[in-house]
Amino acid sequence: MILVIGGAFQGKLEYVRKTFAAGTGAVAEGESCTLEEIREAAVLNHFHLLVKRLVEKGEDPHEMARKMLEVNPELIVISNELGYGVVPVTPFDRAYREAAGRVCCELAARAAEVHRVVCGLGQIIKAG
Amino acid sequence: MIALITGGSGSGKSAYAEELCVSWHKGSSPMIYIATMYPFDEESFRRIARHREMRKNKNFDTVECFTGLKNVELPEKTTMLLECMSNLVTNEVFQEGGAKERTVEAIMEGVSRLAKQAENLVVVTNELFSDGIEYTPETTCYLEYLGEINRRLGRAADVVCEVVYGIPVFHKNDFGLPNDL
Repeated sequence: MILVIGGAFQGKLEYVRKTFAAGTGAVAEGESCTLEEIREAAVLNHFHLLVKRLVEKGEDPHEMARKMLEVNPELIVISNELGYGVVPVTPFDRAYREAAGRVCCELAARAAEVHRVVCGLGQIIKAG
Repeated sequence: MIALITGGSGSGKSAYAEELCVSWHKGSSPMIYIATMYPFDEESFRRIARHREMRKNKNFDTVECFTGLKNVELPEKTTMLLECMSNLVTNEVFQEGGAKERTVEAIMEGVSRLAKQAENLVVVTNELFSDGIEYTPETTCYLEYLGEINRRLGRAADVVCEVVYGIPVFHKNDFGLPNDL
């Protein structure tokens, strides 16, 4: 698995498409995808929105992360970095932000490579 | 040695800072953990409990300091972890009896004192500056104070490291620190 992170609107998907041979394959969207779609995809885009859905349902994103990697160990996961602001006002936003951070820590630890995209440019912060 | 460890929320910066202390500390005397989070609701108690659990086998003695860092009595020549600057600034700015508009000076006096007496000082701070939201004047002032403290600490520190989902990204001197401490 390769993890690609960065702020919103930094060109992460485009970077994935240019950088990795598998990056031009099918894209599952975190906002709506099923585990089955993740199994079939090359790229999981907007992973943070999948985390958001799970937190809304009271489910554990770490469990989903493990299942995802079981069914698709070669997946390229793209997630927004969310933690660079003032503590959110609502408990849900705080829980969502915290959950997204922790599960991305787990993905980063398990990833073969971690790329961080700023202004469309990728920096490899963990190399294979 | 002085290290400044920064990062977003949930980035793994605390775990990294603790491991850095463990790797720098010599001898078997306890290290000092200066805890700054003022517990005011169930959520903060849960956060504190999570941090206590994380460091329980790492030989830290915990000293609480919510305001007035320069008055805290601590042993000399040990490894100290201050966790974290964003909470300390919150307390000084918003708590009764806090330093208010003298927050930056008050905190920097405290940090200078720690830096003089400690063998190693690791300060954890927070990247709160990139959400692009315009806040109330009070919160903006808070951000300005924290930003100034971070910049001063960045100048004073031997190592400045941003932790990104558990991965250290060095902004100043990595001193050959490995990626996994």
